[in-house]
Amino acid sequence: MSVANSPELMDKMLNGLRLAVTEMMTAMAMSEVVFAGQESVEAFSLCSEVVGLVRLDGKMHGMVGVSCSKALLSEIVSRIVGLPPEELLMEDLLDGAAELANMVCGGMKTKAQIGDVNLSPPVAIVGQEYTAQWKTNRPTTLFTFQMEEGILKVYASL
Amino acid sequence: MKLLTIDDSRTIRRVISGVGAMIGFEVLEAENGDMGIKVLENQGEEVALILLDWNMPGMNGLEVLKLIKADPRWMHIPVMMVTTEGEKDYIIKAIQAGAIHYQTKPFTQEEMASRIMEALGMGGL
Repeated sequence: MSVANSPELMDKMLNGLRLAVTEMMTAMAMSEVVFAGQESVEAFSLCSEVVGLVRLDGKMHGMVGVSCSKALLSEIVSRIVGLPPEELLMEDLLDGAAELANMVCGGMKTKAQIGDVNLSPPVAIVGQEYTAQWKTNRPTTLFTFQMEEGILKVYASL
Repeated sequence: MKLLTIDDSRTIRRVISGVGAMIGFEVLEAENGDMGIKVLENQGEEVALILLDWNMPGMNGLEVLKLIKADPRWMHIPVMMVTTEGEKDYIIKAIQAGAIHYQTKPFTQEEMASRIMEALGMGGL
C-alpha cells in the first residue's frame, strides 16, 4: 500500500518541477520554453516517441516522466552537446532522455528543499508504438511546455 | 594540463569536454567511478581538475571523492562536484570530504567555464 504525500510537500515539489523544466531548457539547451499549463490527468501513461522516467522515494514518493517527440529530443540534445541533430546516435538520444529526466527531478528536489528525497537512476525509452504506464493510485499532474520545435510534457505522480 | 570528467551521462561528458576545449583544456572522460580511478592511475599526473558526478551506477560520487582524497597520488588534485543534487546536506558532505567547488546541473557553458577557471585558481571568466 502506498503512503500519500502531504499536500504541502506536493505543492512544493510541483512548483519546483515547473521551475526546473524552464531553467533546464534555458541553461542547458538555450531554448525558449513557455509553460503552457497544468492539469490533473487520470493515469500516468506516456506514449510519445521519447520518455525519461525517474522514481522518487524517501520523504516523498512518486514518479516523474518527461515525454516528447524524437524530433524535439534530437533538437534539445543537439543544442546541449553542440552537434547537428543528424549526427546524433540512438545512444545519444537515450542518454539525452535519461539526463533530461534526471536534471528535471534534481532541479525539482533542489527547488522544493524538502530534504531526504532519493532519485532512482533514470529509465529512458526511445521508440514508437508503445505506452509506458505506471500503475498507481497517486494523483497525476501533467505539465505542458511549448517550445519552438514542439511540445514537452512532464507527468508527475506524487 | 587536463581535466577529468567522471559522469555516467555521455551528454554531460560531452558538454564538459566542449567547455574544456573552449578554454583550452583537453578533457579525459570516465563513465563511472572505477573507470575514473583507472584514468587517474594511468594519467593522474596530467590531471589538473576532476569534475565528479554524484549519482552514478556502482560507486557514487562521494565514495569516489573519498577514495581520491585518501590516495597520496591524487589527494592534491582539486575536485568539483557536478551534480543534480543541490541540497545543503549534499553540499556539506562533499565539502567535508574534500571537494572545493560544487556545481549543480543544469548549468550554462559560461558558468561551467567560469567555475573551472576559478577551481584552477585562474580567476572566473
